[in-house]
Formats: sequence, C-alpha cells, structure tokens
Amino acid sequence: MAILEVNNASVSFGPISNRYEVLNDLNLKVEENEFVAIIGFSGAGKSTLMSLLAGLQKATSGKVLFKQKPISEPRPDLGIMFQNYSLLPWLSVLDNVKIAINAVQPKLSKSALDEKAHHYVKMVKLDHAVDKKPQELSGGMRQRASLARTLSLDPEVLLLDEPLSALDALTRSELQDQILNIWEKNKRTVVMITNDVDEAVLMADRIIPLTMGPAATLSDEFKVNMERPRNRHTLNDHPEFMRLKSEITAFMMGLNQESKKGTGDVIPMPKVKPKSFSLPVMSPTFKQNPVPVKNSSNVA
Amino acid sequence: MKFTDKFKYTLLKVIDLSGMTFLSPVIRLCYGEEPKVQLQKIGQWILVPIAGVLAFLFLWHVTSGSIKTKSGTLPNPEQTWRGYKAINAHAERENLKMEAYDIVGEEREEMLADARLQLSLVAPRVVSTNAEVTRAKEAIEIETKALIEPLDTEYKEKKSEFKATALERKEFLILAAESLPLGNVEAYEKFLAEVKAAESHNEADKDELSLLKKEIDKIREIKSPDVADALNEQTLAAEEQQFLMKQIELLSDRNRAIQVEAATGKILDYKKDFLSLTGKDAYAKARTIAREQSRLSKMGDSSYAKPATIWYQVKRSVFCVFTGFLIGTAIAVPVGIFCGLNSTFMAAMTPFIAIFKPVSPIVWLPIALIVVSGLIPDPDNNPFIEFLWDLPFIGVYKINPAFIASAVTVALCSLWATLANTALGVASIDKDYINVARVLKLGFFARLFKIVIPSALPLIFAGLRISLGVGWMVLIAAELLSSSEGIGKFVWDQFNNGASDSLAKMMVVVFLVGIIGLILDRIMIVFQRLVTFEGTVSV
Repeated sequence: MAILEVNNASVSFGPISNRYEVLNDLNLKVEENEFVAIIGFSGAGKSTLMSLLAGLQKATSGKVLFKQKPISEPRPDLGIMFQNYSLLPWLSVLDNVKIAINAVQPKLSKSALDEKAHHYVKMVKLDHAVDKKPQELSGGMRQRASLARTLSLDPEVLLLDEPLSALDALTRSELQDQILNIWEKNKRTVVMITNDVDEAVLMADRIIPLTMGPAATLSDEFKVNMERPRNRHTLNDHPEFMRLKSEITAFMMGLNQESKKGTGDVIPMPKVKPKSFSLPVMSPTFKQNPVPVKNSSNVA
Repeated sequence: MKFTDKFKYTLLKVIDLSGMTFLSPVIRLCYGEEPKVQLQKIGQWILVPIAGVLAFLFLWHVTSGSIKTKSGTLPNPEQTWRGYKAINAHAERENLKMEAYDIVGEEREEMLADARLQLSLVAPRVVSTNAEVTRAKEAIEIETKALIEPLDTEYKEKKSEFKATALERKEFLILAAESLPLGNVEAYEKFLAEVKAAESHNEADKDELSLLKKEIDKIREIKSPDVADALNEQTLAAEEQQFLMKQIELLSDRNRAIQVEAATGKILDYKKDFLSLTGKDAYAKARTIAREQSRLSKMGDSSYAKPATIWYQVKRSVFCVFTGFLIGTAIAVPVGIFCGLNSTFMAAMTPFIAIFKPVSPIVWLPIALIVVSGLIPDPDNNPFIEFLWDLPFIGVYKINPAFIASAVTVALCSLWATLANTALGVASIDKDYINVARVLKLGFFARLFKIVIPSALPLIFAGLRISLGVGWMVLIAAELLSSSEGIGKFVWDQFNNGASDSLAKMMVVVFLVGIIGLILDRIMIVFQRLVTFEGTVSV
C-alpha cells in the first residue's frame, strides 16, 4: 500500500488566456519507508512537484493522496525541507527548531521542549552553534539547521527539495552521509529532489527522472539494487553503481536533446516593446494591438 | 584573541550599531591598522565636516550683520553663544534660589555670607557698567551730532529758502491772476499751466527736503556696537545683582526654616497672651492662633515656586513627544498590521489615510485643545489630572490639557509613517516564511507574533524613526500654539519678550532642537539595527 500517491496530477499557472503548464499528467507511488529520488534539470518543475507533495500547491487536475486521503493543505507529518533553508532569521538555531516542535506538540513542558530541541540539533551535529542566528552560519550549517527543524516535526514523509544543491562538494558529501545515517537509524519515507546523478544513486532506492518542462512528467523509474549501507569510497568500483550512473546520465542527456528538438531550437524571447512616452489618447480606441510577428531566426 | 583586540571589535561593533561610523577610522588608527587609509577616511568624514562647520560659522558671522531687524541685527555666532550662556545662567540661578529656600543651619549662614560677599563685589561692577553705558551713549551722541549738524543746517536753510521761493511764486501768480482778461480762453489756459508748473516746483522742493530728513533719521537710527556691548554688560551685572539680592532674601527672611521659626515664636507669644485673656479677647486670640498654626503647617511642606528653566522645558518637551509618539504607535502598529494582513481592510482604510495624512499640526492642535478641554473642563479638580500629578517621575511635569493636546497632535501627525510602513512590512513578508508557517500549521496568533511581526519589524522601526522625527518637529509648533510648557513656549515667550538678546536665545533654540532631534534619531537607528537581519526586508 503506497503511503504517498499522485494520480494524473497537472499543475498550471497564469490566466486562462495564457496558461503555463508546469506539470502534466504526473503519476507517482511511494511505498512506506522507501527512499525515492526525483532527478531533473533545473527549471523542469521539481520544486513545484515538491510543493504539490507537501500540500503547499494544489493540483489543477488530478489527485495527490497521503495514506489514501487527499492532501488539502500543508501538514507537519509531510515534513518539507526547503531548498533555500527558510530559517527564520530573527530566531537562533535552537529557537527555529523549538518553534517547529511547539507547533507539533504544543503541550510539551518547557524542559522537555528544550531537551527535544537539543536532541535534534545534536542529530545534525550543530550543538556547537545552538545560539547562533542563521545569518552567522555557513550554507552547510544553515541547511543542517533546516534539516533539524524538519526532522523535529517527526514527519511520516520527509520531503527534501534539493537539500544539497547549494553546497560545495565536501559539505555536500558530509551532509549526504548524515541524512543517510539518520534515515537508516530511524526509517521513514523520503522523497528527495536532486539534480545530481551520483547523489541519487548513492542515496535512493528508486530514481525517477522528471522530463524537461514545460508540461513535465515523470518517466520510467530506475531501481537501485544495491545493498545498504553503501560506502561512497568503494562505490566507484561497484559495477551496479557504474551501470546505473551511465544509464541514467545517458537517459537524462537524451531528454535534454529531445526537449531541444521538441521546441524546434527556438528560444522564446520576451516581448519587448519600446516604451511610448507620448500622452495617451483620451478617446477610446478599439484597435487591437498588432500581433507580434514571431521571429524564427532567433539565436539558438 | 588578545583582550585589546576584543575591546577593539566591541568598540567597532558599538560604533556600527549606533551609526556613528565616522569614528571607526579613529579607532582603527589607534590600533595602527592601515594608517594611510584611515587618515584618508578621517580627512573625509571628520575634517571635511569640521571645515564645513567652520565655513558656516564664518559665513554666519559675516552676513548676520547685514540682516537688520527691529531688535538690532541678526545675532552672530558669538551673540548666540552669549544667549546660550544667559539661558543656562537663568537655569542655574533658579536652582540656587531653590537651594537657598530649603537650606538650614550653618550651611545657610555660609551661603548667606558668600552671597553677601559676591553682592559687594558686584556693586562696583554695576556702577561701572552704568557709567560705561552713559559714556558710550554720550560718545555716540556726539558722533551722530557731528554727522547730523551739517545736514541739519542744510535742511533748515533749504526749508526757509523753499518757503521763500514758494511765497514768491504765489504772490507773482496772484498778481498775474488779477490782470487776467475775461473771455480770453488762451490766456486762462496759459495761466493754468503756469500754476501747474509752480505746484510741481513746490512738490520737488518738498521731496528734496524729505530726502534730507530721511538721511538725518538714518544717522540717528544707527546703533553703536559700543552701546550694545555696554548695555549687554550692564544687563549682565544688573541681573547678577538682582539674583544675589533675591538669593540673600531667600537665605534670610524668606528662608523656609527662618519663616517656620518666626511663626513658631509668634504662636508661642500668642499662647502666652491667650492664657491671660478671657471672654471675647480670648476667643479672638484663639482664632488667631488657629489660623497661624494652619499657616505654619502649610509652610512646612511648601517649596520654592521655581519658574520653568530651559532644561525643565527640554525635558518636558521630550516627555511630551514620547507620550504622543507612544499614543501614535499604539494606534498605528495594530492598524498597520491589520492593513497588511487584509487587503479589504486596507481598501477601507485608504481614504482615511489619504485624507488625514497631509493635515497640518496647526489644524489638529486647536481641535485637540477643544476636545481635551471638553473632556477635562476643570483641570484643577480633575481626578485624572490629580492622579498624574501624584505619579513619581512624571508628576513634576504637571501634565495639563495643553500638554495632552500637544501630545495628541504629535500622535495624529506622526502616526502615518508608522502605519504605512507597518502595512508594507506585513504585506511584503517573504513567501518562504509563510510557507514555513503553513507547514507548521501555526494558528493566527502564533503566525502573527512568531512570523509576521518579527519579519515586519525592520520596516516598522523604519516607520517609527520617521514618526519620531515628524513628531519632534510638530511638537515645537504645538507647544508654541498651545502654550504648553516646553521648548516651543520658550520660543514664544522670547518672541513676545523682545529683549535685546531674545533673538539670540531663539537662535540657541534652533541648535537645541536640532541636537535633540539628532539624538532621538540616533536612538531609533540603534533600535532599527537591532531588529534588522540579513535577508529580511529593510529600507
């Protein structure tokens, strides 16, 4: 029985006359305690997909189900970790975690709240910086603080929106290990969005590519049949790892070329018109704006 | 880190927080950090402003003499400084007088002896300054006389000459008129032209005379700087003498302890008499004793009726501006938050904001005065006012309807900046924080106090800063109009006083108001920085 389910969901923005379809006819099933990675190019609509799963974004059509029930609004058991940390800058690391715990367990005593907050901060190895404000932290530390806050909600599903893409390679691998460590100790369902194939193969049970936008959708999954715990140092010698990596990379490159072919090499340019500083004509004119001629000889 | 380094960074942090960044190169220079760069910065941010101030003082000094007013020329920097000293001396003297009233025992004797000594020293100064004024006046009189005399003789000569010629012309014309041939229009016309010519001659003569007269008056009006200086010295000496005499009085006869002692003695005497009286006389004596005793008990806790000094007025003004500012904030912040949260409410409020925002304090004040006086018709017996007067710390400022009206005017004029900024700050909250609130399922109040208000605080404080600045400007005008004791009233009193140094004292107020406004602004900057974080919206 899938814990999280997306059935034929589409998301589009903008007025009806000029609708922009971000996601189209998307289907996804995530089993309990499974680690699913969704991989896609930037701009493909990954964050929109994550907002959809978290309940922050409503589907224009189709359904998103959590434990067979439609998600109508965001909820703490769908713990989302935002791409840009979203820590509250006026609160210390500890208080950022506390506000989350307080929201889930409002009846907790002061000392228990304190203890719990310290527990989660320790879990992400930030105990030396509990009283620091977010602006005093490095990117990696902020991301860990954000992780601690999300974990402190004790969510049934952990939604990680490109948690590591803003970090440098060293911090990134350290945090990958930490996330995996936490997950293995305390199994739960994880959906992670990433743009890094290595990261996806290292961490996930299944990898699902998101096709290029607009109107992106999920394509066929790749199963990662590798035993856990996975060792990053010997990974490069693992034949399965190498096979998956090259397969997925090839698939993604194919997607990229296909999408370029699909749009016929024409990059839509913004419609820029020179501003007119003449006085507006006061009498109503019923002339329509001239339809801009599409210039197909644009720069590729 | 070494202690000195730690101290340095603490200092630099404090400087940065208070916005006095011009001091940081000085600190860095003291620690020998890149001397060349620091010297350049000091030159730009300290020496250049000082040079600017000096240039301003020079220009002021040079030009002030040419701006003539009814009470002398516009005061130059030196006269303004003397005005400041006079204001300050008044404040100090009032303090001394109060002390003199309260002082008892040996200290009183010492103070009295000291005052008498000073008085004896001042007396010759008063005489000499009086003599100097007479001398200076005589000197200028002789000088002007010498200047006026030739003009005067010329004036007199011309006057009699013109009179004579006018008479001559008149007689000639009358003679001519007698021989006018009747019926000859041409001759009549010619005669009319002659009369006209004669009249215009007379007019021209008169103009010439009045020009001369004006020149003479101008010389008479010339005010000699010597006389002004002498008068100034005379006033200073006379004021000091007057003060010392008053102080001596307060140290002797009118000292509270002395008065109490005298009254007690009197009552004792009365009592002695009373015991030997009967009948009507005994009744009369008893009444006298009762009256004297009640007077004595009142005298025991009386204090010197000190007039308002400038520093008291400054403190009262600052207190008044903060009262108004707090009233304004208490209205503007909640309303601003609701405007930011709810666009419908904002739409409903917009007309009021748009209409009331540009209204001048001059309009609000009379309305506020009438409304406040309506609410408090009898301030002397109002329980609320009595309650305010009994409060510690603020009781001394004697809050009255004029004070409340001024504070309300400040509130009405200053709340708009805070209101607009609060609404903007709340409306422009980062979407990420809203998402966090949505995921955490925070309730309305948790969302408001934990997410919305903290994120809007930098803009709210930016608004408060503008509000306080506006409020301070408004308050001086409001006090001037409502006669609420404060800086504004000081200006108004000086304006009506019209003494030779009144204008200089008003110029002092310009700087006083400016400096206090600057301090208030700095305080708000510190608050604003304390609540501003990287990544939050700020101005």
